[in-house]
Amino acid sequence: MILEAKDLNYYYQDGEQRRYILKDTSVSFEKGKFYTILGQSGSGKTTLLSLLSALDSPHSGEVLFNDEDIKKIGYEKYRRNNIGIIFQNYNLIPTFTAVENVLIPMSITENEIPEDTKSVAYNLLDYIGIVKSKADRPVNKLSGGEQQRVAIARALATNVELILADEPTGNLDEEMEQEIIDIFKKLAHEHGKCVIVVTHSNEIALQSDQAFLLKKGVLASYE
Amino acid sequence: MNFIKRGFLGITRKKGKSLILLAVIFILGSLISGAISIQQATSNVEKSVKERLGAAATLELDWEEYDKLSEEEMMNVELENIGLDLIKQVGELSYVKYYDYSVSTWLGSESIEAYRGDMEEDFVHHGPSMDFMIKGINYAPVLDFEEQKGKLVDGRVFTQEEVDSGTSVAIISKKLAEKNNLQVGDTFTLANAVYTYDEETGEEEIATSRDLVLEVIGLFESQTIKEDVGADSDSGMIDWMDMDYQNTVYVPNEIVISENKFQYEEYLKTDEEYAEAMEGEEEASFEYYTPMFVLNSPEDSEAFEEEVLPLLPEFYKVVSATDQYDSIAGPMESMSKLSKYVLIAAVIATVLITGLVVLLFLRDRKRELGIYLSLGESRGRVVGQILIEVMVVALIGITLSLFSGNFIASQVSDTLMKADNNNSNEDVIYYSELQIDLTTEDVMDTYEVSLNSNYILVFYGIGLLTILISTVIPLVYIVRLNPKKILM
Repeated sequence: MILEAKDLNYYYQDGEQRRYILKDTSVSFEKGKFYTILGQSGSGKTTLLSLLSALDSPHSGEVLFNDEDIKKIGYEKYRRNNIGIIFQNYNLIPTFTAVENVLIPMSITENEIPEDTKSVAYNLLDYIGIVKSKADRPVNKLSGGEQQRVAIARALATNVELILADEPTGNLDEEMEQEIIDIFKKLAHEHGKCVIVVTHSNEIALQSDQAFLLKKGVLASYE
Repeated sequence: MNFIKRGFLGITRKKGKSLILLAVIFILGSLISGAISIQQATSNVEKSVKERLGAAATLELDWEEYDKLSEEEMMNVELENIGLDLIKQVGELSYVKYYDYSVSTWLGSESIEAYRGDMEEDFVHHGPSMDFMIKGINYAPVLDFEEQKGKLVDGRVFTQEEVDSGTSVAIISKKLAEKNNLQVGDTFTLANAVYTYDEETGEEEIATSRDLVLEVIGLFESQTIKEDVGADSDSGMIDWMDMDYQNTVYVPNEIVISENKFQYEEYLKTDEEYAEAMEGEEEASFEYYTPMFVLNSPEDSEAFEEEVLPLLPEFYKVVSATDQYDSIAGPMESMSKLSKYVLIAAVIATVLITGLVVLLFLRDRKRELGIYLSLGESRGRVVGQILIEVMVVALIGITLSLFSGNFIASQVSDTLMKADNNNSNEDVIYYSELQIDLTTEDVMDTYEVSLNSNYILVFYGIGLLTILISTVIPLVYIVRLNPKKILM
């Protein structure tokens, strides 16, 4: 088990009332598998991903990475060394080139990275489908699909085992969506990564090794 | 691609925003720089002018206070003299480097001629000639020479024995000596004449006279009279001052006291009315000393005055050489005040405007900061990256404004001081024992807007601190949030 969530609770205080987004949610994930978390808008799936990726903290419960509480690891350190995050709207630095965006996490992480970081960044981009000529362009000059590939390359740049993606294909057309999903499958099955994707798409959920459905704050297996 | 490199890339990749920030910092920086330039220049002027004025102080009757009394009150007030004991008591204070007390008189001469400078032809005598100021001294090395009013150029100063015993020796000016072919070792004669006034003819006649023979032991030159006074409004006054000083004869106090005593006694004999008036009075004192205290530093003046005032008899005051600064530094003072207000306003404006510009600059960057935090970058480094971007631009802007502000300050202060000086009718030299031929012109000549290390340090300090505060506050406000709140 690479990642485990235990009894997570997350709510908004609405006067005297607590409006629960997640209630006693527990789930676990293994390496080498491609997971999806399915749910409608407002179901709490993005909140769950935020807690799993330490972008936010739960009101109660814990998230264990390799059996260690991420709070103890330190949220910042956990994000820096243990996970790669992909966002629906890519969240790239618009004034930097694609390769520069990939280089950023390499300078932040404490993981071992080959010395020639620039070559590693170009190779990663090439592997994801961004050729060198495009890698040197500012990311805001690339298409949506290309930008999401750059975001995936950035998530892989620190050589982490856990990739978390929030609606990564939400802004892409069907053809591009499938290409991205194929990359995730390849990362899980060929490179042994644990890939967790939050989505509202049944098609993507059906392609995953295991899917969960989040409804009214409660997580259940989705068959 | 560490945070330092990202910071520098941020500047070059967002040229437009960097230029806007640079322009804002440059304009506001020029204001701050100009105000600091003027502040520094005015404070330098105060320091150097006060040093030039010297650290001397004396005790004088405060006529202004006395004049405030009603006639009746004046009748009942008996003005005391400053006694020798009090002078010595004040002279022993820790602020005093050395001191002297002097008694003076004016004498004429049949055998030597007074120095008249360039005014020889214009000089017309009305009444008896009393051209020579006989200045008694108690401080043997001569205080005026120690204080650079005059400089001994030949011979020697007095010995304490000569001073104590009242030996007939004198130090005269080189110009007076040259005019009368006197040299060190020569003697010359002054006449202590007592005149009577004939009411019918309206003329004064010598009633009695005695000779005072003095041996020249030293020659001095004036150090404070300017060579190039030019045609300004003070030149006439300064010529007179020069002439008086060149005709000053330094002698031991005892000589002057003896001559004053002779005059008094002879007046009693020749002037019956005066004799009647003085009848029954205590024995006259001839020791009306004018004290002169040289302080360790001009900055001690205020503390010295505070300590001495309670010791003084009623209606006496302490007059310091540095008091003259206040009467001649009008334009400088108004300049200093103006620059102080501009500086305060400019710093407040800079904090507000730069804060606002940086806030707008950061609002666009908020998401970017969230991205760095989501990638695990530490808050300190995220703040550091933005600080590098802002501070590098600020450093360029401040450096440019250092020169522009200095230039503007120089132009503005020139214009303002000229205008202020033209409007001022108070360009009068303060007259007292401490008088130095220093005018408002001199103060303005000392004023110089320049770049010195102290000014540069102060300016960079104020400038960078202002930018730092206006950047860090909004930055900390953003990065204290968790990444989810910033990004979603």
